[in-house]
Parts: sequence; structure tokens; C-alpha cells
Amino acid sequence: MTPSPMDRRGFLKGALGVGALAAAGGTLTACAPGTGGAAAPSRLAKPSASATAAKGEITVWNRSGDLFKVFDAAIGRFREAYPGVKVNHMAVDIDAKLANTLISGTDVPDGSFWDDAKIGGQAEHLYDLSDLIAPYRDQIAPYKLSVNTVAGKIYGVPWDLDPGLLWYREDILQEAGVDPAGLATYDDLLTASRTVRDKFPKTKPIHLDKSPFLGQLWLEMLANQQGTSLTDAQGRLRLDSAEYRRIFTWIQDAVKDGLATRAPYLEPADVNTLDGGQQVFVPWAIWWSFAPQQLLKATKGKWRAAPLPAWTPGGARSGAMGGSSFVIPAQAKNPELAWLLYEFLCFKEPGYTALYGPSSVYPGGLSTSVPSFTPALDPAKPLFQPIDALGGQDLWKVAVEAAATIPAAAPIPAWWAKSVDYLGNNMQRLMDGTMSPDDVIGESAEKIQRNLIDRS
Amino acid sequence: MSALTTMARSGRAAGARPRSRRGTRLSPYLFVAPFFLVFAAFGIYPLVFALQLSFTRWHGAGAATWVGLGNYAYLLTSPEFWASLGNSAVMWLLIVPIQIVAGLAGAVLLANAKLRLRGLFRVAFLAPFVTPLVAMAQVWIVVFDEDYGLVNHLLNLVGLPDVGWLTSTAWSKPTLALLFLWKTTGFAIIILLAGLQAVPAAVYEAAAIDGASRRRQFWSLTVPLVRRSMAFLVVVQTLAVFQMFAEPFVVTEGGPYGSTTTAGLYLYDHITASDLGTGAANSFLLVLLVFGLSLGAVRLLRPKDEVS
Amino acid sequence: MNQTRPGPVQYALLALLAAAFLYPIWWAVSSSLKPAADIITDPLSPGPVTLDNYRAMFADVPIGTGFANTALVLAVKGAMTMFFCPLAGYAFAKYAFPGKNLLFGIVLLTLMLPTLVLIIPLLLEMSALGWVNTYQALILPGSIDAFSIFWMRQTIAAIPDELIDAGRVDGASEFGVFARVVLPVIRPGLAALAVLTTMNIYNDFVWPVVAVNDTSHQTLQVVLSTLAQNVTGNRIGADFATVWGELLAAGSIAMLPLLVIFVLLQRHFINGILAGSVKG
Repeated sequence: MTPSPMDRRGFLKGALGVGALAAAGGTLTACAPGTGGAAAPSRLAKPSASATAAKGEITVWNRSGDLFKVFDAAIGRFREAYPGVKVNHMAVDIDAKLANTLISGTDVPDGSFWDDAKIGGQAEHLYDLSDLIAPYRDQIAPYKLSVNTVAGKIYGVPWDLDPGLLWYREDILQEAGVDPAGLATYDDLLTASRTVRDKFPKTKPIHLDKSPFLGQLWLEMLANQQGTSLTDAQGRLRLDSAEYRRIFTWIQDAVKDGLATRAPYLEPADVNTLDGGQQVFVPWAIWWSFAPQQLLKATKGKWRAAPLPAWTPGGARSGAMGGSSFVIPAQAKNPELAWLLYEFLCFKEPGYTALYGPSSVYPGGLSTSVPSFTPALDPAKPLFQPIDALGGQDLWKVAVEAAATIPAAAPIPAWWAKSVDYLGNNMQRLMDGTMSPDDVIGESAEKIQRNLIDRS
Repeated sequence: MSALTTMARSGRAAGARPRSRRGTRLSPYLFVAPFFLVFAAFGIYPLVFALQLSFTRWHGAGAATWVGLGNYAYLLTSPEFWASLGNSAVMWLLIVPIQIVAGLAGAVLLANAKLRLRGLFRVAFLAPFVTPLVAMAQVWIVVFDEDYGLVNHLLNLVGLPDVGWLTSTAWSKPTLALLFLWKTTGFAIIILLAGLQAVPAAVYEAAAIDGASRRRQFWSLTVPLVRRSMAFLVVVQTLAVFQMFAEPFVVTEGGPYGSTTTAGLYLYDHITASDLGTGAANSFLLVLLVFGLSLGAVRLLRPKDEVS
Repeated sequence: MNQTRPGPVQYALLALLAAAFLYPIWWAVSSSLKPAADIITDPLSPGPVTLDNYRAMFADVPIGTGFANTALVLAVKGAMTMFFCPLAGYAFAKYAFPGKNLLFGIVLLTLMLPTLVLIIPLLLEMSALGWVNTYQALILPGSIDAFSIFWMRQTIAAIPDELIDAGRVDGASEFGVFARVVLPVIRPGLAALAVLTTMNIYNDFVWPVVAVNDTSHQTLQVVLSTLAQNVTGNRIGADFATVWGELLAAGSIAMLPLLVIFVLLQRHFINGILAGSVKG
């Protein structure tokens, strides 16, 4: 059910009646903020029209930049398949606008690109897409399905999967006699780092990020690898666990042994220590591939990707770091047509091929993520090409094999970014050596519980 | 309302004498009416809404829960809230006094007809005011980088060690304060220049004939006459410093270790995390604080001839 | 005015300070002319000059529309501010009337309330009025603003009452006194108000970003925020070398008109208001 304009006018009157404020004792009902927003979430049903009969116009929002151009071209392919649908594709500042627009309910787009981290908190304003996604459910990466599922209902059409990989300097490992294929566990990675450091005393091989936000996002990748995340599906905190303790202890060991370079992601200090040979291992999401392709000069062509080491022998070799999906607002005018577009882009071969395959923007294909639709993830059928900046390595194969092991997680709480003030900062203190793993867990858990969970 | 009364009186209401003409009685209301029309149309609703919101828990969807003074109590007992005020207070000390002095010096200088290349200097000091912040923030990130920034490079040249301008809790506030000063000192100069140029040149000439030294002229003529502009500047910049959020948001993300999480950024964080009730309560607490501070500043800078 | 000619030491200090003030602007403009990736990898030295960032920016965002809309908003909103705010400031500075303190208190309250908290309710109101995506939504809220009234009140309060009373004795109407006596005397303050209003309207982005969705109503700062989204906050997966190039190109173009106006008008701006004040 979508609210009628009358609801909002009624609310306006309510709020204007200052007397009502004094009268409101127990709960605000008639004049409560929120009655103007979306009411019960709507469940979107499958459109009945066939591809050629589907007619109408939709407005979809997207991030700006090169990705926008790639989407633009892919939407062109959609128009060929659905000639009756006109797509108004717009680049807007989604973070600044979308949440506000959903609350106000006016001029809402029919669909939008959105960070997975934002979707869980805004589910009430979005269409429940469970029925539409049902036929594809078993073919979607479990991680992406889990972050888009709130209380059993799916609110986002899962788009990209961003597997974590171990980026390493092939030349340095060779000279140090380290076989990258032998890096099966994180303990192996520490051992290899010591070997590299002994051979090249100037190196501090492992990248640890200095940005609290990205550091915490990275932590979630390592946690996801072990099948956990900051909160469970019911929103309960699960920081105080063996999995998180294992990660923090590992970080502490790396720092204590002088094996870590701490630098903020791809800022000058990072680029310089990467190019200068100080960093040898960068455990990071696939989108790091952009660094050797566009930013690094001296070490371009010397980096390779491998699956992440596992936390326990035989454990998962990757975790997700970031990612986005498509949402259809509950007040969209043409939700069915928006669904057809997103279904085409995510689940239909010409759609995802247009996005990830060679394009005028990325002649070799889009290599900063992979689709989350498993039929697209065939190691033998690459969507993007081997990359020269990685010495011609077939990144596709490495990425999709790693991606196949990523466990499920849980929807990301609306306050996630704010928890960086506690957890992200305390992780930096751990790297500074001023906090122990137990302190990080105890102190962050207490503050997240009090300031964020108890108040949501 | 007594605080408001004092504030309103601090401007010289010397024309305050009873007038009998009907037009005189009505005129001031007509003159202020346009503001209040716009306020009635676009100010009251958001204000009442926000006030109401401050007593509820609401995340932008569904019904709001009435929590009474809960949000206020939470903030007032939260160490993070007080830390954000503390950060802003330090920023205030780093910015406002320096800006008043630098602004006044700049205004006196740029009004000096005997200064050569005056046009160039004017443009140089006023230009930062017109720049888009988000692009300039990158300059700060690059120039003040601990390992590869220009500033540390220059320090090394004269034999000084690296400073963690944006990465140490000791220096992050001064570095951000510098960005704010760089960007808004032009604003202070414009305000003070206007005040300064309202000082009739004849007054200076008379003083010069009287044989007053230039130093005395400055302290006994210039400063008292720009007091009103200074008071205005202090109030407006106090507000700007306590509401500042874009600078720390784009340059330091509030770090390192929350050392640049200003009152404005702390408030912004509630709103981006959709904790709208807390955000509203935080706003009203800030209003009270800024109001108190402004009042103090206005009292301090009130011209001597006025008695409240 | 009895002014001194600065000595060489003062000139040297001034020149140093001016260079430090101009450096960030020079950096932004010269970086916008560099190959995009060099902005991050080699931020401090000038690279080979290229217009690629500008080409990409013009192709990606409607910056021309942004300029046109900003000019329109500036003209209407600026005119309202320049007329109504001195008038209200005059009333608050020079009249005694019942309720004055309360009314001025409300003016100050609106000045002190953080904009951020008003965005959502204001957007709800615009929705109820059907004004989302309209010029009136960009122009009317805040069109007669507390900051300007406060500034005008401070400026007008400095005028001697005798001057105003003399105007009344001459038989001028109340508005006539304002127009013929007050306005000419506060020319420096008005000039400052004009500059500040231009800057405020030109650089305002918090409200315009949420108030308009369609391309045809975007102001310059909305266009900039579209480009800036990939470099503010999180940078997950963003190809932010190219984004920086386009952002700096747009930023450089955006500040150009105001810089040119400054350079051309600074002489008139400052000397002009100096001349106007002598009579007062």
C-alpha cells in the first residue's frame, strides 16, 4: 500500500498544530513523523506482459563515473530486447539523495543502484522482490542473497560480488623462494612474510589499511570468509567470537613482527610504498585490480592475484568486501518495468555480458568485480579478458573460483558505517599496539551495543 | 526570553522613543513581514517537525516512538557527545581569535591606498572563499600527507622531522582549522572591511590634526568602530565552527581516533545513520549552546556607550 | 586616511602569504590539466598538459545547465535578499516596537538551527506542495535569510539616529527614509552583503542536492556533488583516478566566474564603497 497525498497533508496539519505537541503524552500517533513515509512494504509480482508487449517509461538512478557509461551501454542492449520500454538513466549523488527521497515519497525513481550496506536499513521503503527472485534464488551467490534478505524477504536484486583476493608481487616471491600456491592459511602468509622480510630487509610485506572505514570493511571480508559478520540476521552483535578473535590476533602478530605496512588505501603513501617495493602482499577485494591497471607505474605487470589464504585448513578461500544491488522503491511508478531491466542486467546473459564484457569504456571488460549470478561465473567462460597489468594473468578464473567459496552472511545493519567510530578506530589502535584483541572486542562491543543497537 | 531581549538590545536601539504617527507604528512590522511570511511558509513546519522528532525515535520509516526526553538524556550522558563538543571548542579556539586578528589586519591592509599590487593581494586573500570545498579538501590530503606531502618535504629541507598533520591526534585539529581559516578569512576580511570603511575618513583626519599617533588612532578609533562587525563575525563564525561537518568529513572522516569529529559531524552521523530523533535532539542542544556562546561574545564586544 | 606605505619586509611577508593562499587553487587548476592517474600518483609536480579531464567532464555531466540554473536562482534569490533583508535589518536596528525582541529572537533561532536537521521535514513539505523538482523549491526556502538580516541590523545600527530623524523632519515617509537616507549611507555594508549573498547562493549544495532530481533543474553545486560522490565518504570500488580528474575540472570551471568577477570588480568594489562612506 502506498500512502495517498492525503496522508501527507494530514501529517502536515498535525505537525503544524503546535497544540498537538503538548497533547501528545504517550505515543505520537496521528502526527507522528513517519506516517508520511511508506507504510507496509509491498510485494512485487511478476509482470504479465511479454518482452515485446512491455511498454512504458522508467527512471533509474546510478552512480556517476565510468561505471555509469558501462551501464548506459548495457541499458542500450535492454532496449533491443524490450523495445517498448524507455529508460531514463540518471547519474545522481545516491548517498545524499536516495534515503531522503524514499522518506518524502515524491518523485521516487523506479529503481536505483545502492550499496548493500544501505539496503537492510531501508527495507520498509522498498518492494519485496522475493517472488520475482525465487526462480533465480538457487543460482545467486549465498553472500549476496543473505545481505539482501531482511526477515525472510528479499529487497535487492543482487548485482556484483566482490571477492577478496591475495594480491602479491610475483617477482619478489620468486626471488625469495616463496611459492604463492603454498599460501594455504593465514599462518602460511605470516611465515612467507618473514621469509620475504629476511631476504629483503626493507620490506614490510603485508598491507594493513590506515583508513578506519576501509579497515573495518576489510575486517568484514575476513569475518565473512569464516561464515560470520558483525551482526546476525536478527541484528544481534556477534563480535565476541572465536572468528573475530582469530583475525585480531593475526593482525597483532603481523604488527608485532614488523611485517605490516600501514597505509591509507591508494592515497599517495600507499601508492608509493606499493611502487617502492615495501608492500608485497595486499589481501584485498578484487577492485584493487584497478591499482596496477591505472595507478602503479614501477610495479605494473609484477602483481598477481591468488585466492585468500584460509583461516583454518580447508576453510573458505575468499570473503566479500563491499558490493551493490538494485532496489525498487515501494513508490515506484513502474516497478514491473524496473524489475525487467534489473532481471535483464543481473540474470540474463546478454545483460551481464554487456556489463562485464568488453566495452568502449573498458576494452578488456569490467574487472573490478564479478557477477553474483552463479551461471555467469564459469571459470572457462571469462567475461573479462586477461589483464596485461597483471602480467597477462587470467584474473577471471582466479576470481570466480575464489568467489564460489564465499559463505553467506547477514543483512548489514543501518548503523554499520557509524560503528566505524568504535570498531574501525579500535582496530587502528590494535595496529598501533595500544589495544589487545580482547580490548578491541570488549570495548567496541560495549559501545556498539549502547550507542547503536540499543537505539535502533 | 530574557536572553533574547539582551541580544536584541545589544544592537543600539537608540531610535527607541515613542512615536505617535500611525505609519511609524505599523512600518517596522511591514518591514520585517517578508521574512516572517517566508518563515511561516517554509520555516515553521520544519522547525516544529524537528522539535517533535527530537522527542521520538524514528529511523525514516514506520511509526515514530515517543521517547520523551530520552534522546536528550542519551546525548547528555554520552561521552561521544561531550567529546564532539570538546573537539569543536578546541577548533573554535584555533579559529575564531586568529580569524578576528588576521581579518582585521587584512582589512586594514587591503584598504591601504599606498599598498602596491593591492589588487593582486585582494584577490589572493579573498579567492579561497569562492572555491568548492570538496576539490580543495584533496589539496589538504595531498599537501599534508605525512610521508609524501609538500609541507613535510619543506620541513625536512630545513632539517625538521616529519609531522603527522592529518594522522596524529595532536595535529589533526590545527590542520583542519587551517583549512577553515584559509577558506573563510576572505569572508572575515569582507565583513571587517565594510565596518572599517563605514568609519568616515573625516574622523581620521580630525584625529590626525589632534596629533594622535597611528597606533592610538587604531586602538581608539578603528577598533571601537568595527566592534559591531567583530561581534557579528564572532557570532556567525561560532555558529559555523560548531556546525562544521564538511571539512572533517571529506579530509579526515572525523579521525584520527575521533579527534576531528566535530559537533557538526557528530550530528551529521546521526542523520546519515537514519537516527533522526537523536539528530534532531542534538541540533537543539547545539542551538542552545551556540546561543549561549554568541550571547557571551556579544556582551564582551558591546560598545562601551551601551548599557543593558 | 592617514596610511603608511608598507616596507620591504612587509611586502615579502605579504607575498609569501599570498603565495600560500593561492597555492591550493593553483594546485587544483593545474591538476585538472594533468592526466587523471597522475593526480594521485604524482600529486605535487605538474604533468603534461591535457584537456582530457575537461572533455570527459563535459561529456558526463550537464555543467552548462548547472550554470544556467545557478544564474537563475542567484538572480531571483539574490534580488529578494538584497531588497528585503536591509529593510528588516533597518526595522530591527532603528525602531522600538512591541514584540521586537521575540521576533528578532526567531530570526536568530533560524540562523542557529543546523540546516541538516531541517532537510527531511522541508522535503516532506515540498512533497506535500508538489514542489519537488521546481525552481520555487530552490529559490523560496531561505530566500530572505536570517544571516543577511542580522548583518544588515548590525550595519544599520551604526548610523547616527540624528541622520534618520533629520530625514523624517524633511517629511519623508518611513520607507522614504530607508530608501533615501539609510541605503546610501550603508553602501559598504550592502556591497559586502552582495558579495556574501552571491557566495552563499552560488556554493549552496545541501538543500539543492535533495530538492531537485531531474537534470534540467540541477544547479552547479548539484552537478559537482554528482561528481564528488565517488571521492567523499567511502571509496569502495570507485575508479577514482578518473573521478578526481573530472571533479577538479568541474571545480576549476565552477570557481572561474566568481574569480573573474572578483578580479574585474575588486577595484570598484573596495574603492567604490570607500568613496560612498565619506559623506556619512
